[in-house]
Amino acid sequence: MIELSGISRDFQVGEETVHALADIDLTVPDGDYLSLMGPSGSGKSSLLNILGCLDRPTRGSYRLDGREVARLPEEELSRIRRQHIGFVFQFYHLVPRLTAAGNVELPMIFAGVERGERIERVDRALREVGLSARARHRSEQLSGGERQRVAIARAIVMGPRVLLADEPTGNLDISAGREIVRLLEERNARGLTVIVVTHDPDIGSRARHRIRLADGKIVSEENAVADGAAVGLRSR
Amino acid sequence: MPRDFWKLAWESIAAHPLRSALTTLGIVIGVASVILLTSLGEGTRRSLVSEFSQFGTNLITIHRGKTTTAGIPGAVGGTIRKLTLGDAEALRRVPGVDALVPVAFGSARVEFGERGRDVVVYGVTSEVPKVWRFAVGGGRFLPRGDPARASSFAVLGPRLKRELFGEANALGEHVKIGGRRFSVIGVMASKGQVFGFDMDDTAYIAVASAHSLFNTEDLLEIDVLFSLGASGDSVKEGIREALIRRHGGEEDFTVRTQAESLDVLNRVLSVVTAAVGGIGAISLLVGAIGILTMMWIAVGERTAEIGLLKALGATRGQIARLFLLEAALLSVVGGGVGVAVGMGLGALIRLAIPAISVHTAPGFIAAALAVSLAVGLGSGVLPARRASRLDPIEALRAE
Amino acid sequence: MSFRDLVGFAIGALRGHRLRSGLSLLGVAIGVASVILLTSVGEGARLYVTGEFATLGSNLLIVFPGKTETTGISPFLTEAPHALTLEDAEAILHHVRSARRVAPIVFGVAAARVGDRRRDVGVIGTTSEFLGVRQIRLRSGRYLPAGELARGQRVCVIGSKVQSELFGSRNPLGEILHLGEERFRVIGVTAPRGLSIGQDLDEIVHVPVSRGMKLFNKISLFRILVEISSHQEIPAARRNALELLKERHEGFEDVTIWTQDSVLATFSRVLSLLTAALGGIAAISLTVAGVGIMNVMLVSVSERRREIGLLKAIGVMPRQVVSAFLVEAALLSTAGGALGLAAALGATRLMRTMYPSFPARPPFWVVPAALSVSIGVGLLFGALPARRASRLDPVAALARR
Repeated sequence: MIELSGISRDFQVGEETVHALADIDLTVPDGDYLSLMGPSGSGKSSLLNILGCLDRPTRGSYRLDGREVARLPEEELSRIRRQHIGFVFQFYHLVPRLTAAGNVELPMIFAGVERGERIERVDRALREVGLSARARHRSEQLSGGERQRVAIARAIVMGPRVLLADEPTGNLDISAGREIVRLLEERNARGLTVIVVTHDPDIGSRARHRIRLADGKIVSEENAVADGAAVGLRSR
Repeated sequence: MPRDFWKLAWESIAAHPLRSALTTLGIVIGVASVILLTSLGEGTRRSLVSEFSQFGTNLITIHRGKTTTAGIPGAVGGTIRKLTLGDAEALRRVPGVDALVPVAFGSARVEFGERGRDVVVYGVTSEVPKVWRFAVGGGRFLPRGDPARASSFAVLGPRLKRELFGEANALGEHVKIGGRRFSVIGVMASKGQVFGFDMDDTAYIAVASAHSLFNTEDLLEIDVLFSLGASGDSVKEGIREALIRRHGGEEDFTVRTQAESLDVLNRVLSVVTAAVGGIGAISLLVGAIGILTMMWIAVGERTAEIGLLKALGATRGQIARLFLLEAALLSVVGGGVGVAVGMGLGALIRLAIPAISVHTAPGFIAAALAVSLAVGLGSGVLPARRASRLDPIEALRAE
Repeated sequence: MSFRDLVGFAIGALRGHRLRSGLSLLGVAIGVASVILLTSVGEGARLYVTGEFATLGSNLLIVFPGKTETTGISPFLTEAPHALTLEDAEAILHHVRSARRVAPIVFGVAAARVGDRRRDVGVIGTTSEFLGVRQIRLRSGRYLPAGELARGQRVCVIGSKVQSELFGSRNPLGEILHLGEERFRVIGVTAPRGLSIGQDLDEIVHVPVSRGMKLFNKISLFRILVEISSHQEIPAARRNALELLKERHEGFEDVTIWTQDSVLATFSRVLSLLTAALGGIAAISLTVAGVGIMNVMLVSVSERRREIGLLKAIGVMPRQVVSAFLVEAALLSTAGGALGLAAALGATRLMRTMYPSFPARPPFWVVPAALSVSIGVGLLFGALPARRASRLDPVAALARR
């Protein structure tokens, strides 16, 4: 369960203070499927960074499973990212000199998972994204879609509670993009909280819980679950 | 977990083989030159020490005069401080003294027929083979007798014998030493050079004969052998007291045990070795700067990767450790190869010029590896700090 | 592309990466500085020793008793059956035509006493000629009187340190100094001079040579210094003196004669060799610095693939690419060399102010050599990266992300 209340994020750009996020309240229950949409500069990425514990808000409270994390020290945030959060990026961010399996293994190495268990979990994760055959390939030998599937395997291998995907299909052709969305939704169906940042309305509208941002504020929030079967609209 | 870090570090090193090899090469050159130079120094030290200790360790040497700052006690020129045969004989009564040799020393021409040779002549007594541990090769050494009485017996070093007699028998022949007739009763076994003196190119005559030949009553030194059971220090003290009594209360001589001389020698040579090794280590410093540079560049290049690792939950400490490990690995591999190269060069030198002693002490190898580890860690600190402090959001945007 | 443009281009590229440029340069600087410092110390030692020999006076022959065929050092130590006598010294003066001055010497250590102050001093027994031959200056009084060699008076000239330690602030002239059991009247004090080839002349007492021989119970002299009237005469004078002494010693050639030139040359050679060896060891670090430059340049080539591709696309010749990168490498190493040179010169200057008697300065060849070697290091180790840059395929270089 993610509970944001009164979250703001200011950046100092020269003399000026830019308010990237202003007073965001948001609740993301476990197993939610949330899409964040909005034009460039609307604050999507800033919100994603805060949700992913990569960044700390200037003001406000962020409770993750009931624990206040907004003011935690960096080391503690690292631990939270490692245990509870998986990331998928637009440009995959695979380490080029490592194999697919090596990339999936990475987070477990830093988490100190036993070697035998790691191999098992890498196998399982790659199987789940349908890439067992590609385990020994390095990223330059993989297609874009395959790379993103490796990235998903890497994001889920630690068994996180939340998966954050930043434009996961932005660099892929339609069919590869569809496959990625299918994988994400499959994880969500099994109970993983999935948060997707996207420009693509087709993808954004698939989420049960949809948020639109502009100028650092939530301008609309639709939640199919909270409003029952009917699609509700709440304006702010 | 450390093992996985090793693997990660090794993979980033292997990803740039040429660059990593060149970075390592700096350390290789540095370590190899330090190892080679210290091995040469250590080899020299060992060969000198072994030259020295062939005289045995239960030896005490008395020189005339107080030790000067230069460390040469009264060796140059003259002194009003004398060491006499009487002094030497008196020392026989000091408890613990087993044998002793009074030594007079000069250079003279030794002639046999038409052949002649200018050599060092030692005036000694019958106890040389025992005290100096010199073996007689043929015939016998000077006979026992009153040290104060001259004799016309001479014993030749093997080289001098060869120069004068060739392969012919020398025993029983007469030679002229400084114009006086001596009969050859023995030839020493070969001893080689000791501290640059060719011990084989000498003649030994009775100390009283040498005094008369060189027109002096003075001894260069007295070499005392003490019994194995006695303590060197207490014998030394006994000698000191006995001589002070004989010299009217003045300590105008220097008594030194072999252990003390060995100590001085060891200390001097260790300092020289350390100094030369230290100059060689400048290369190591430059090599360390090379590692620092390359690791700094690597952090810049791998900004995106570092951002990703942070997003995946790697802590600052873990990232710093990863880069430190990488630097240390480069450096330690360089150190290992450097040790091998240095020792290899040493072996080559030994093969090419057998006269040069090369010895790589295990301590040097351990020290070289430890230093290269320290160099790696030291030069990795700045890059590792830089990497661990990267802002993950900025870093991820870097691609 | 003019050389100026090349340099401008290279400087631009280097400034883009200040830290790594700085570090590469630092490597060369350390190498150059250590080579210069070590050779300066070595050269200082050489100048010091040769300078000391020069104070011995010029055109000198040094005669030692004894001779051996195997060891060069023995003349310092040994006694010989045929004493080198005062008569030998006189004979050299009278029969070797070009001998201008002859100073016989005995040397030893003796206990000196004034009242109840005592200390061991070095004693030189010699003649009035020693003053000129060793170019000794007096602070007060006069030097040993000239006169018959065999009949010395009981007078002495003392070093400045002997004076301060035994007499304090009193005027020593006319006072009595005991050497062993004998009494000597002080007639002069030498001016302070400091260390001179192992002997501290300030701690020496000079006495007439015959008194010295008696003091040390010696028949033989320690050395004879012979000053020859001109440099050309030296070889002949040495031959004459050898023959003369052989004749006087019943046909035995049992003396060793060194010319000052040969001693000087030997010392000079040994110290130059030592200097070169130390410099050479330090120069290994220059190789390491060169490897470092090569590495950084290789990285820079691969980082700048697109830039290089673009250059080639707009028609820059491979040759020009090579020179651009070579100039970059040479600039790095030369700047490092100059920095190292400056640091080392500063350090040697500091050394000279701290130890004025020790002339630490780089040998004349070191400064040009250091600069050309550092340029050479840059060109040599820059060659591989430059070639690699010039061979990049522009299409691939531009296409690659």
